[in-house]
Amino acid sequence: MAIYIQKELFEVEKIISNIRKNKPLIGAIVSFIGYVREFNGNDIKVKKLKQMDLEHYPGMTEKELIKIELNAKSRWDLEDVCIIHRVGKLLPSEPIVAVIVASQHRKNAFEACEFIIDFLKTDAPFWKKEISDRDQLWVQDNSEDYKRKNNWDIKK
Amino acid sequence: MKINILFFAGIREEFGTNKKSIEISKSENSPYKLINSLSKKEQGSWIMLLNKKDSVRVAINQEVCDWNDQLNDGDELAFFPPITGG
Repeated sequence: MAIYIQKELFEVEKIISNIRKNKPLIGAIVSFIGYVREFNGNDIKVKKLKQMDLEHYPGMTEKELIKIELNAKSRWDLEDVCIIHRVGKLLPSEPIVAVIVASQHRKNAFEACEFIIDFLKTDAPFWKKEISDRDQLWVQDNSEDYKRKNNWDIKK
Repeated sequence: MKINILFFAGIREEFGTNKKSIEISKSENSPYKLINSLSKKEQGSWIMLLNKKDSVRVAINQEVCDWNDQLNDGDELAFFPPITGG
């Protein structure tokens, strides 16, 4: 199990090959990667994003991410979990976050990966600020994210 | 008793600082009582925080808490907007 909060770019292929090292039981790896979008598709007059600033609460962020990983491990049989989240200044098309889950069979990895990103979205203290060619705005939270998280609580 | 207050994102910008160390009295021993009292004593950004309290998250010692939870000496209190990572 690993958690990385970093300014630098990351390479998912490298992380996956590290996870797979000496773990012959792994039969499935599912990864979710979130990227910085250059345009906000919901805007009629499209804004062009120049930069995204990512702020976090050092200490609490790590604690929350560990909690999420442990919850996932208690719900599914997993071989390994890795969460990477970037902070600082990010440019359009760069990766923001990766959740990588390894298990013996695909079902556990698929479900656990979705579970982890859904909880990360509402529980891990990160904040995004979008700097566009027109303005600088803190991103507002999304009610859809809370619905998705609450669905998990009902399901099991 | 003394506590450390941390501000994040838009709230940090409104306060113009990311932290404050302050002495609080027994009558200010919850996040709600504290901002209520500071919005009268110091005004400024504290009034803004009190007014938009329903959309502000509060944490004590890095655990999300309730506005009426108790504050103790040496606690780390944090105010932040809803989370938008990932």
